[in-house]
Amino acid sequence: MLEYQIFFDYAPILLIGFWLTIKIVVCAIALGIPLGLFLALGRRSNFVIISFLSTSFIELFRNTPFIIQVFLFYYVLPFYGLRLSAEYIGVLALAAFGSAYFAEIIRAGIDAVPKGQLDSARAIGMTDWQAMRNVILPQTLSIVIPPLTNQTLTLIKESAILSTITVHELTMTGLMVQGETFRPFEVFIMVALLYWALNETIATIMRKFEQNTKKNRKAGSIGNSSTTLKKSTSIK
Amino acid sequence: MTSNFLELKGLYKTFDNITALNNVSLNVSKGEVIFIIGPSGCGKSTLLRAVNWLTPPDKGEVWLEGKLVGSSSSKLTIKEAKLLNNLRAKMGMVFQQFNVWPHLNVLENVVRPQLVVAKRNKANAESKALKILDEVSLHNKIDEWPDHLSGGQKQRLAIARALAMDPILMLLDEPTSALDPELVGEVLIVLKRLVNNGMTMLIVTHELGFASEFGDRLLFMDGGEIIEEGSPKKILTMPKTKRLKMFLKKLDITSFKH
Amino acid sequence: MKFDISYTFDAIPRLLEGAFVTLQVAILGFTLSVLLATTITVARTSLNSKIFNSILAFYISFIRGTPILVQIFLVYYVLPVFGLNLGPFTAGIIAITLNSAAFVTEILRGGLASVPIGQFEAAKSLGISGYALWRKIILPQTFITSIPPLVNEFTMVLKATALLSMITVVELMRVSQQIYSANYHPVEVLSGTFVIYFLMCFVVSRSSVFLENRFIVKRAR
Repeated sequence: MLEYQIFFDYAPILLIGFWLTIKIVVCAIALGIPLGLFLALGRRSNFVIISFLSTSFIELFRNTPFIIQVFLFYYVLPFYGLRLSAEYIGVLALAAFGSAYFAEIIRAGIDAVPKGQLDSARAIGMTDWQAMRNVILPQTLSIVIPPLTNQTLTLIKESAILSTITVHELTMTGLMVQGETFRPFEVFIMVALLYWALNETIATIMRKFEQNTKKNRKAGSIGNSSTTLKKSTSIK
Repeated sequence: MTSNFLELKGLYKTFDNITALNNVSLNVSKGEVIFIIGPSGCGKSTLLRAVNWLTPPDKGEVWLEGKLVGSSSSKLTIKEAKLLNNLRAKMGMVFQQFNVWPHLNVLENVVRPQLVVAKRNKANAESKALKILDEVSLHNKIDEWPDHLSGGQKQRLAIARALAMDPILMLLDEPTSALDPELVGEVLIVLKRLVNNGMTMLIVTHELGFASEFGDRLLFMDGGEIIEEGSPKKILTMPKTKRLKMFLKKLDITSFKH
Repeated sequence: MKFDISYTFDAIPRLLEGAFVTLQVAILGFTLSVLLATTITVARTSLNSKIFNSILAFYISFIRGTPILVQIFLVYYVLPVFGLNLGPFTAGIIAITLNSAAFVTEILRGGLASVPIGQFEAAKSLGISGYALWRKIILPQTFITSIPPLVNEFTMVLKATALLSMITVVELMRVSQQIYSANYHPVEVLSGTFVIYFLMCFVVSRSSVFLENRFIVKRAR
């Protein structure tokens, strides 16, 4: 019933599509996270216009299906003279989508830093930006890494939708192979397994990382500890 | 313009419907050590936070050495914001919850503000940091992470961080209230040294013994107002108002002469 | 080419029909998903079977680890191979239900965990068990606690329905594609579609606050 030969014959071409998926997602988070940081800070800004624009962007991209965002990017960008290939459009769309979610994650992270931290930074004479950069954001980092990783996993899955604008990532490749072989079960199982494997790998790495940081924080008791974890006196 | 070192003029502040500051004015001379006591919610912290404009009052002005720290009537321009930050650097603030920065080690906590705010070069900043950390007896902890310090050590770090900026005024908001009793002494030692070195200080505290020994002036606040003001010994032994008498009774002061 | 909003307005009536289909699919899919997830949750707690839990874990891991579009294709293309020719609408509903149920199961697991163990014990001592225990005591508390994540999941379902356009279900996304492939004004038509999706999702997510307030009286905490 199951044509095992399919797995071997078409695995290479599926892996090529898989590789493009990975590249697209990496580019999307490389663009999306900085944009998300920008939006998070913009949302908290005292300038009403910046705050309004940031909030609007975030709400618009979080409250609509990704597929329609992709189609809009696909048809609108040429309007403005940007004749990009589908892959680049896909990256931009995925980055924009991701940034809206990243922004909320980062914002929650910033809010999670105890208020006293900002107080002490301001009291010592730092500007708001200096306080952010030197005191708040570094502490935000450890808080936001798990949810940011989670969102990356979501982006990996959403990238499948780029198949609708003929980006030759994993899902599109799967559809093409399916069209050739007429064996949807074998093909889509392979496709699903590849996504699933990538997902599990990243999730497991994240879990290990979290366990590790929790161990480091627990070490050292109050009052009598003279153990140091980092022997460096490096001042950045 | 004023010839006083620190001047608070007519400060008002309300939170929702609670009046935290009700027309509070205060003149502080250079080198004076002023203790502020009072029941919780009386406005002591709000007063302290108004001095460096951390919690800007609704009405009133604060002047430090003849320069305007903040006025409720003027909106902050970029130039004024810069001036405010400069003045804040001259006012060291120490918090009840320490607020040391956990992502930097002890030395970095004291060096970073010098680099970023005072714009000193790294070598100078480090040597100054080491000197001050030595003065607060943290010289053997410079590589430590704040997570691993006791409460008393964290507070001494916070004081060192503030002192590295060469402040002319220290604002201390219940510096020992969050400490276990056996750790209070080590912080008081550091504060004692500051007093003896002539630092101008505003201290909100419950440590009445410390206040009566080292304070030039004691302020009793309640309901957002300064109810009694005078030398600590006089105020604590001969309270004039009913409110202060009740407050002292609540603290069960049989003898505060430590 | 200039943006001509008349095309948007002209498309609105048909788009709204598509939106209606979207809502139907979403509500049907979500309802089935909640029923399925509730059954699974009750079974999981009552049965305490290792086999059941393993299969469940595998199912949830698969759903959460793979794109919903791939799941939709799997159902649509694979079921006919096994002789089940259900048509796009049914296939779409099945895919969405199976997908959402995995997430709702996890949501209910969290909601259930917040129900104090004392509730089970008190009910047992009163002689309440089985169907009544769940229907009257445990599930209501579970669901009320879970309102925010459940509303969030419903918006996810709403957004997922747009993917059914890829298997020819004539919901909002598909309708908009039909319109602009005829009038060659994709930007205008898609903009209108975008706004309609936004309004639907936005209204739903704001209703979470409203629902919470309505049920807050029932929370004896």
